[in-house]
Amino acid sequence: MAPDVKEEQRVIVEPSDWELVRKCQTGDVGAFQELAAKYYQKVFMVILGILNHREDALEIAQETFYRAFRKIREFRGGSTFYTWLYRIAVNQCIDFQRRQRRAPAEVREAIDELLYERGEHGTDPYDALEGKEVMSRLLAALNDLTPDHKAVIVLRAVEGLSYKEISEILGCSEGTVMSRLHYARKKLQEKLAHFL
Amino acid sequence: MTMDCESVRRTLGAWLDGEVSEKESREIRAHVEACPSCRAERSRLERLQFVLRAALEEGASKVTFESFWHGIERRISQGRVRHREFWDWLRPVILPRRLAWAIPVTVVCVLAVLFAEQFFFGLGWGPRSNVAAVESIDGHGFNLALLRESETKTTVIWLFEDEDEEEDEPAPEAASTDASL
Amino acid sequence: MNRLQKLPRLTLLCSLLLVGLSAPLGAAEKAPQGLHLRIGTILASNESEDFDPKLSRMKNQLEVIKYSSYRLIKEEVQKVQWRLNAVFEVPGGRSLVILPQEYRNQRLALKVRLLQGDKPLVDTTVRLRNRGYFLLGGPAHEGGVLILSIFAMTP
Repeated sequence: MAPDVKEEQRVIVEPSDWELVRKCQTGDVGAFQELAAKYYQKVFMVILGILNHREDALEIAQETFYRAFRKIREFRGGSTFYTWLYRIAVNQCIDFQRRQRRAPAEVREAIDELLYERGEHGTDPYDALEGKEVMSRLLAALNDLTPDHKAVIVLRAVEGLSYKEISEILGCSEGTVMSRLHYARKKLQEKLAHFL
Repeated sequence: MTMDCESVRRTLGAWLDGEVSEKESREIRAHVEACPSCRAERSRLERLQFVLRAALEEGASKVTFESFWHGIERRISQGRVRHREFWDWLRPVILPRRLAWAIPVTVVCVLAVLFAEQFFFGLGWGPRSNVAAVESIDGHGFNLALLRESETKTTVIWLFEDEDEEEDEPAPEAASTDASL
Repeated sequence: MNRLQKLPRLTLLCSLLLVGLSAPLGAAEKAPQGLHLRIGTILASNESEDFDPKLSRMKNQLEVIKYSSYRLIKEEVQKVQWRLNAVFEVPGGRSLVILPQEYRNQRLALKVRLLQGDKPLVDTTVRLRNRGYFLLGGPAHEGGVLILSIFAMTP
């Protein structure tokens, strides 16, 4: 019967998330702020990986949360909250990329800084210069992928999501996720053949 | 049966992701441990994952929640303002006390009715009645009577030529509207 | 939001434009090529109780004028042009001058003058529907009165 299904579906959501979601559904902005604090970094990472542009990523990440807030009454707990959130994020990215194309540049700066710091402290497994080159090429290679391929590899890298979860987010089969991941990794490896 | 390098490399990513069956996992593990080339491939995949995650983490680490939340909060409040402004705009339209739109709408409706008649003769309502409208009348010193008979919608202009005869003349009460004589 | 606030004003502006446009549109209504005027001259009297069979279709209407006898003594049809005078001879040295002025909203505007020689008796402007008519009566004639039936029709 339908009510039982609903109860079952709710179990999928982590109790704490579900509790906060229910509060949000009554218009509690504070509860939504808690959810945002919990997921904003990962959502931002996913979007940054797909768009490869810091300012755009920030804008789209905030827009993602705003849309989630507006639509949260429609969320029935049929999937995990973060899966639902990533779905909104990916759709926003795809819409955004359809609207405009940007050249990748700004994430590279962040990576440069990261590598510099790690090289300086001796914690990076690579030589600082070599690492810079690797990441630079990684981003160039990432940019050559389609948004769908970027989305699978980023979702997997950032959140370690299962193929099932990724398939739910992207609205495709697990087999498609597997083949896209395989293709994306292969492409990236080819581009970084001398550095990995 | 042991797996060859090609099949292992095809599923190596899925194996690292924990997305292969128990049996397949055992076979891949055995192959990778024994095969230096596939071990190197595994290592490359792991490094790729590491570099990608590290880059994105670094990018995200620079965004503080306060500034991030500020952007969301701004959108929420703007959305509410837009919502409120919409209702502020709609309210006078709905409430009868401020039917500002009613004037132009009424004008448009009246004009539409009037001009529909002109442009679509088949509509058939035509002139409001058969009554002739007398716009001006001048008897040049003679007495005149203008009679309009409502039942037959007849208009009669009656001229009293002579005052002596006037008393003898029966006053007309109505006249015909029949279209032909 | 400004756009929303401007909407009623825009509606008003559009309707004013429509009003502005309506005048030329109304004027643009094509006037028919001329019109037919049919003038019937009826002698009404109390001298007999004869009713002219040619007036049978008007019998009910004419009877309410309270004369006992009605006779059609003349009928004249003319095709006339807009804004040009049409003259109809009326018994007793009278004449009826009709000036078709305009055709608008399926209504004809006629300026009608009844003259006794050169002397004006009645001067009137009447709007009729197409195929409509009105009566002008009163002038004395042969022991009775004349009733002029003025009928107008576009071709």
